[in-house]
Amino acid sequence: MVDAIYSLFGTEGPFLYLTAIVLSILAVVLPLLIAVAFAVYFDRKIWAAVQMRRGPNVVGPFGLLQSFADGLKLFLKETIIPAGANKAIFLIAPMLTFTLALISWAVIPFEARVAIADLNVGILYILAISSLGVYGIIMSGWASNSRYAFLGGLRSAAQMVSYEVSIGFVLVCVLVKVGSLNMTDIVLAQEGGIWNWHFIPYLPVYVIFFISALAETNRPPFDLPEAEAELVAGYQVEYSSMAFALFFLGEYANILLMSAVMAILFLGGWDAPLPILDFIPGWIWLLVKTAFGFWLIAMVKAFVPRYRYDQLMRLGWKVFLPLSLFFVVLYSGLKVAGVPLFS
Amino acid sequence: MVFNEVIPNLGIALPEIVMAVGALALLMVGVFSTADKAYRLVTNLAAALLLLTAILLITQVGGERQVTFGGMFVSDGFAIFTKILVLIGSGISLLMAERFLKEHNVAKFEYPVLVVLATLGMMAMISANNFLSLYIGLELQSLALYVLASINRDRNRSTEAGLKYFVLGALSSGMLLFGISYIYGFAGSIEFDVLAETLASGEASVGVIVGLVFLIAALAFKISAVPFHMWTPDVYEGAPTPVTAFFASAPKVAALALFVRVMIGAFPDMLHEWQQVVIFISIASMFVGAFLALVQTNIKRLMAYSSIGHVGFALVGLAAGTQEGITALLIYVAIYLTMTLGAFGAILSMRRGDGMVESIHDLAGLSRTNLPMALAIATFMFSLAGIPLLAGFFGKWEVFKAAVNADLVPLAIIGVLTSVVGAFYYLRVIKIMFFDDPAPAFEGGAGRTVSLVIGVTAIVNSPVSFLLISPLTVAAAWAAGSLLY
Amino acid sequence: MDFPVEILPALAFYMFAAITVASGFLVIFAKNPVHSVLWLILAFFSAAGLFVLMGAEFLAMLLVIVYVGAVAVLFLFVVMMLDINFEELREGALDYIPIGALIGLILLAELVTLGSAWVVGEDITRNAAAPMPSVAEVHNTEAIGQILYTDYIYAFQGAGLVLLVAMIGAIVLTHRTRTGVRRQNISAQVSRRPEDAFELVNVKSGEGVSLTPGKKG
Repeated sequence: MVDAIYSLFGTEGPFLYLTAIVLSILAVVLPLLIAVAFAVYFDRKIWAAVQMRRGPNVVGPFGLLQSFADGLKLFLKETIIPAGANKAIFLIAPMLTFTLALISWAVIPFEARVAIADLNVGILYILAISSLGVYGIIMSGWASNSRYAFLGGLRSAAQMVSYEVSIGFVLVCVLVKVGSLNMTDIVLAQEGGIWNWHFIPYLPVYVIFFISALAETNRPPFDLPEAEAELVAGYQVEYSSMAFALFFLGEYANILLMSAVMAILFLGGWDAPLPILDFIPGWIWLLVKTAFGFWLIAMVKAFVPRYRYDQLMRLGWKVFLPLSLFFVVLYSGLKVAGVPLFS
Repeated sequence: MVFNEVIPNLGIALPEIVMAVGALALLMVGVFSTADKAYRLVTNLAAALLLLTAILLITQVGGERQVTFGGMFVSDGFAIFTKILVLIGSGISLLMAERFLKEHNVAKFEYPVLVVLATLGMMAMISANNFLSLYIGLELQSLALYVLASINRDRNRSTEAGLKYFVLGALSSGMLLFGISYIYGFAGSIEFDVLAETLASGEASVGVIVGLVFLIAALAFKISAVPFHMWTPDVYEGAPTPVTAFFASAPKVAALALFVRVMIGAFPDMLHEWQQVVIFISIASMFVGAFLALVQTNIKRLMAYSSIGHVGFALVGLAAGTQEGITALLIYVAIYLTMTLGAFGAILSMRRGDGMVESIHDLAGLSRTNLPMALAIATFMFSLAGIPLLAGFFGKWEVFKAAVNADLVPLAIIGVLTSVVGAFYYLRVIKIMFFDDPAPAFEGGAGRTVSLVIGVTAIVNSPVSFLLISPLTVAAAWAAGSLLY
Repeated sequence: MDFPVEILPALAFYMFAAITVASGFLVIFAKNPVHSVLWLILAFFSAAGLFVLMGAEFLAMLLVIVYVGAVAVLFLFVVMMLDINFEELREGALDYIPIGALIGLILLAELVTLGSAWVVGEDITRNAAAPMPSVAEVHNTEAIGQILYTDYIYAFQGAGLVLLVAMIGAIVLTHRTRTGVRRQNISAQVSRRPEDAFELVNVKSGEGVSLTPGKKG
């Protein structure tokens, strides 16, 4: 992607190259942020529809500009830093969350080999960055110097560490078949239409991944770190204005990321479901599939009650961990045995 | 593209593989059986597993020296001999533990599993033929031992023992790795065979010697030789008695075997460099073991100092650096194992109404309250002191003979002198048992297994040992011979 | 593409190296233990960056996932939860500086002398040639897998057992079975049917019902 933009300049030079890098980052991040704004709107609309309400419908046509209005409002508010807070960490935490949510997108391929960085170990990179995400939360929880925030931070840390394990095993299941950690290769392995996509042979692990992704992004029914009934708003309780907005944006960017990763791992990424639909650009397919993933996540929020914390831990360690381990063995066995769909 | 399609020869490591798989199976059995039966069931199965492993090892007797896993693992007579000793030590101390653990509410099924895993680590240490496999075996053993030391977690002494052992053990592992990194940097390999070959050709560089010193320091820690013995009395005293019995038997044998394996296997041509260090720690251990034991009143602490002293004597054999020396060391270790197991069996039987007692003075007048027990303890003490006609004497005799034959006469003389000093405190125990006013009698024994162990080891250590010493010598000579190829 | 991108890796190297060293120092010198852990995390992270520059992406990612993503989180967890006055603990630590400095100096001197004495002999290069596939042929993830599961399978499995012991140990030493705790029995909850839970009673007017507690709990 960087090279493609660089070659557009016609001439060469170090600064042009840097410019190309910056431009390709912008080309991903700007649409992403706009997508986040609409994702929030989308989320609220779905939630409202399930509850037979109208949802946001005042700002702009159909309320489409609601997120922008909310954002503007947040930006205009005063940043409040609690007296007992650890100022530096308190402010770094939301920035960290936001930055980490954005940099994962560096390896997401929008077309074959079209990514900011087409890393060899792309999927590990995503896992690594998402495992870093916990720091934003735990740091904010600690730095706020508030019990609610601290409890939220601790819950979140334990939760994310727990579910990362099963996410890792699910990835192994898929990687055993693909034989590469590169995101583009993962999609290329499923090219050629919907019947080649991984969600068919890998349906059980897709479900595990989906549920773990909910836990990993602190989405309902696993939104215990910010459970409003017990912890007010958990780690976000002391945050206001910009800092809060960064958390909010980061959270939604992460949700979109997880949807995109699911699309890439299980739904064929940019691949068209039927070969005759190939004329539609790949990034649109990816967008559609990501939106589908997001829709699922939003629906879950609307109709599943929140888990209790011990149930959450039980599910992670006693159900998903053994189950995903079992599937690793199963899929590796199928691959070694040479069963067509799995090797 | 596959680089090494050859599957390593697993048959050579069959006993270890059986143990490893067995340990996993035991864990499953323990988890899925009812809580009150789990300990007993798993203990019996673990003992059976150790027995099975020993049988598998015996079937390998007489075989050639073989290596597998890319040279990481070696099986030879030395390994088989010491592994069998380790299995005996582990098995017996495991079976002796039951009553004590039940009374102290620590009869968890994890205990036998950890003993099995620790034993597996010891076997890996003994068979190490590469610093990587050495380190992994050592850590497997140590980590399990740290946990065992603090298994009675509700008692401060036990947790303190575990913590001390852990912190100092981690320090010694650090020294070990530091030493290994030097050796690797200057000799270019971590494989014992390659090292022996490389170092045979010419002068050893100073880097290898520095690495070697660190290595010896770390190994000295593991065998609790002076000046790295500080942890021993505290850990022996603080850990639950069956755990102490285990510590004093199997890991000691394994660590000594490892010491020999590294020195003879990897640095045979640097004898002059390491010999000085080994002589120093041997003398220091003998001195500390003899003199500091004089002031102990707790019998477990006494045994700790005694074990330090015995390590010093065993190292005399290594210091000789000859086949005779190694043979002597192996004989010494085998005899030490029987003495120490018997002595700890006796300590496990020291119980009164309010629980276990550990003071030497609790033994007062034992000859009048329980004569057989007093006689058994007297046998162990005489044997530990090295009084002629008892088993302990043969061990000492062999190591000193080896030292004299290797022109280490001063070392042998110092050894004899310290064993005379050492004899004093062993005899003090006997004096207390036979001539002091009786303390209240001990309550019924610690179970049939313990009594059996005391009986058998007492007989083995008594003058009957004349019959056993020649087969032992043959086996030890065979084992030592396989090492010096 | 002959543009001189070479300078970028060099810049990145100096940046990561400087951050690693600086945050290493700050781990020790930070007053607040939580800050120490955070600096440690930064050090890990920049070390991962250095791995990437060396072409070992796989190791870099593992470093981040395992150390930063799991181990350091637990560190942070523990440090945040402990109620220890670290200032108090530090009191008197200065008394140990002379001996600490002495040991440090001795080790440094050793390192320097040995470092200067270090020559790569013929034996060493021959011995040290590890059985490694060439980087050009296979990808580094694959290369690690190939030697880990063949030449080093023994060490790999042994390390697995060490971790198992650590796990058993942690459970033995901390797990307590508490009595008198009401636990959720999920299978009982799930298998509960309406007919077990309630019954419909036709109450005749003026007669009422007699409750039979426990019968249909």
